[in-house]
Order: sequence, then C-alpha cells, then structure tokens
Amino acid sequence: MTNFNWLLDGSIVGLYLLVTMVAGLMVRKYVGKVEHFLVAGREMDVYLGIASLAATEFGIVTCMYTAQNGYEKGFAGATPGILMALAMLGVGLTGFVIKPLRDSGVITIPELLEKRFGQRVRWAAGVVIVLGGLLNMGVFLRTGGQFLVLVAGLNVRYLEIMMTALLVGVAIYTILGGMLSVLVTDFLQFVVMSAGLILVTILILVNVGWDKLVTTVEMSYGAGGFNPFVNPTMGWQYVLFNLMLNTAAVLTWQTTIARVLAAKDTKTGRQIYTRTSFFFVCRFLIPGIWGIAALATLGPVANTLEAMPQYLSTAVPAGLMGILIAAMLAADMSTDSSYMLTWCSVIYNDILAPFRKKPWSERKGLFWNRTIVALIGIFLLLYGLWYPLKGDLWTYLGVTGTIYLASISVLLIACCYWRRANSWGAVASIVVSAAIPFAYLVMEQLPSTATLAKSIGPYYSGIATYVLSGVGMVVGSLIKPRGRLREEAA
Amino acid sequence: MPNHWFWWLLTAACVVWYSTITFYVSIKGAKDIKNMLARLDEIKRKELKES
Repeated sequence: MTNFNWLLDGSIVGLYLLVTMVAGLMVRKYVGKVEHFLVAGREMDVYLGIASLAATEFGIVTCMYTAQNGYEKGFAGATPGILMALAMLGVGLTGFVIKPLRDSGVITIPELLEKRFGQRVRWAAGVVIVLGGLLNMGVFLRTGGQFLVLVAGLNVRYLEIMMTALLVGVAIYTILGGMLSVLVTDFLQFVVMSAGLILVTILILVNVGWDKLVTTVEMSYGAGGFNPFVNPTMGWQYVLFNLMLNTAAVLTWQTTIARVLAAKDTKTGRQIYTRTSFFFVCRFLIPGIWGIAALATLGPVANTLEAMPQYLSTAVPAGLMGILIAAMLAADMSTDSSYMLTWCSVIYNDILAPFRKKPWSERKGLFWNRTIVALIGIFLLLYGLWYPLKGDLWTYLGVTGTIYLASISVLLIACCYWRRANSWGAVASIVVSAAIPFAYLVMEQLPSTATLAKSIGPYYSGIATYVLSGVGMVVGSLIKPRGRLREEAA
Repeated sequence: MPNHWFWWLLTAACVVWYSTITFYVSIKGAKDIKNMLARLDEIKRKELKES
C-alpha cells in the first residue's frame, strides 16, 4: 500500500510535467546552429551552470544506488561523494586540465586530443567515450521506472510503459531544443528536485530521528558503517578505486565537462566546479540517509536496491508524495536529456568527423544531431529492457564508466601536461582501459568465469585499469621511435 | 554533540547548504536564463541583418 494520492499527487506531477515540457519546447526557436544545439552557443553563466550540473549529475539512478550504498554500508556508503567533492573542488580551484580544455575552444574532449595525438586517436577516443557512456546510461531507464512504480504503488507490468513514456517525453524537447532546452529544463528540474530532496530528508530526520539512524548502522555494520577502511565490503581498495574513478570523472565525464565547455569563459567554468563541489557530498549522503532509514524501518529485504522506494512509498504522506515523485522525475529527466545530448555530441563531432569530407551545412548538422539523439533513445529503451543487472548498481556504473574514464583521463592529462606523449601511448592507454573492464563485465556474466570475476572483484580490476592505462601511455609514448615523432610533427 | 559527530556535522551541513544554495540559485539562475536568451536573440538579429 502506498500513500500516493492520484488526485492530489497526480496533479502536482502533471503540473510539473506540463511546465517542463512547455519550457523545453519554448526555447527551440533559439536553435539555429549546431553550436547552439550542442553547447548553447557558449552563453551559459555560472548559476545556470550550477543548476544544470547538479540536476544532470543527480538522476533517479543516482538516488537508487546511493540509497543502496546507505542501506548496505551505512554512513560509510557516502565515501564516494566526499571523494568526488574533494576532487571537484581541487580541479575547480587549480583549473587542472579544465583550464586548457576550455581555453582550447573545443566542443568535445576527443577534439582536443586530435591536436596532440591525431585523427585516429580522436575517433578511437570518441568510440570509447560513447561505448562506456551508453553502457553506463543503459541501466538508467529501468532503475528510474523501478523507483516510480514502487513509490507510486503501480503494478510492475507497467514498468516498461513507464520507461518508454519517460524517455519519449525527454527525447521530444532534447531533439528539438538541444542544449538550450536541456539548460532551461535543468534549471526547473534543479528547483523541483532540490525542494523534494530537502523536504523528504527533513521529514525522515524528524520522524525516524538521528539516534535511531546511528543505532541501526551501529547494530548492522559496527564501526564499518562509519569508517570505509574498516568495512569488510569496502577497505582501502574501495577508497582508492573511488578516488581514481571520481577524479577521472571530474576531469573527463563528458556530461560534467559539457558544462565547462558551454560556460561563457574559463573563469565561469572553474566557478561552476568550485561552487557545485559540495553538492556531491549531498548527492551521496542525502539518499544514503534515506537508505539507512529504510534499513531502520523495514529491516532486511531481498532486494536492497528496492528498499528505499519501498520505504518511501509508506513513509511520505500524500501531498509530499507528489513533490517527491515530481522531484525524482525532474532528476531523471534532466539526467536523461543531458546524457543523450552529450553522447550525441561525441558521435556527431568525433565519430562521424572522418565521414564529413566537406563541412556540413548548419541545417544538415542539426538534422543529424537530432537523428542521433533519437537513435540513442531507441538504444536506451532496448538495452534497458533486456540487460539483467547483477551485483550492486554503483559498482556496475563504476566498471562501465571506467571503460573510458581511465584512458581519457590519462590521455587528457598527458595531452595538457606531458610533451613526450604521443599517439602510440594514447592507443595503448585506450586499448588497456577498454579491455580490462569489458573483460571483467563479460567474465561476470559467464557462468564458467563468474567465480573468478568475483574473487578478483570490481575494485582491484578498476585500480588495475587506471594504473595500467597510465603505464600504457608512458611505455607506448617512450617506445615510439623519435624519427616517427619528427615525421608526425612535420 | 551527538554520537558520530563527523557524520552529524556533514548531514547538518548538507541540509543547510543545500537549502541555501537552492534558494540562491533559483533566483540567480532565472536571471542567467533571461540574459542568455537575450544574448542569443541579439546574436540572431545581428546575423539576420548581416545576411
């Protein structure tokens, strides 16, 4: 039984959807060029950037895996958020990588990589970015649908319909308005999402109480519920893997970097990073507390991913339930739209680049961009329907994200700061970075190798990917004959 | 100070900071959108004139 009231809560959700769609469609008239579609004409200012970055990086999927972390690991489950906030603050304050990247005036990361490593590396980097990004995003829809079905108390057979409806709504305004629609809807979604997150958290803290949350974590996980280093499911390898993963994400995650690239100047891009950094602590801790509250109230459950929505379906009263669902819809829609647009930008700008012998007209460019967004939507729908998620969600996202995060962060750092870096090193880094996580995912799925994959674990496999990707860059660059280097330079 | 002060402080900071930033960004972000659309409009009009 859920507290969702169709008249009251349904009206709140309906109003939110209507306002978002209207706002998203209204700005489509400003889209006349590919640059408007992909980076909003580089006219974004700092507060819109903060709203957009925060809304993009918090989807239902985020809420689900961070709550799962809270449920399974206690407060220590918020460790990745703290690490990400520190990484983002450091990068924002120093301008490390993002300054040369924004100064270069490129639309995507591979475009910058071409300047140092050549066109083939640009293409390969584009493929890796899209592969990692789409595999990562593939689970967003199903997880989002799962949350909405559980919280609203709908029959599970409506899950696919819910997923499709969500995607179609988002695709319409993204296809028509591109980044401009994404920014405007992100802003509205940030306001609605934040209001919902804050209100529900206050409700939980008042109703369940701090003492009960702490006692539950103490009884369930002991000291490991507060300290990741002594938690048997985490340990130093978890912390190190997440430090590498989150630093790489801050430097190269295309949806995050897209905000720096759409900023009106480098200073604005850096300000967006420093001022949004603490949001990443909230992003993990707030849903983490929801997960702990689910543990305190429901006790052990079969599916830990579903514990938080199950708990919220009865803990949140009618009225606030509508705000919660609107907030989560806002979170999901802003993430989906930004992600679709981001991968589209890489496919158009980098993967299709070699096929554009002559520059395309703005009209043709816009047509292809819109087509690519639509095709990504179809892929997401199909992938989301058949991929069976095994293990915890955050780890799946970490492993698939690593496919590109490891190599692209190594390439980007080398491109900006190591003069000896060259195409051989770049290729070695890309191959290593894609091969290890991909092999791990396949091993995890095959019955004959599943035990071996489990004994290695995602954290050691992830750390190995980052380290070996760096080694690949250094070794590959150093073994390239100097004669070939001079030829390329000439 | 409650037990596990680090997590208590971090939770309190999240609620206070997030509430404040939401209010502030709601106002400033709306202005940013207005200015961004005005600038794009101006660029579009200039381009139309030039063509």
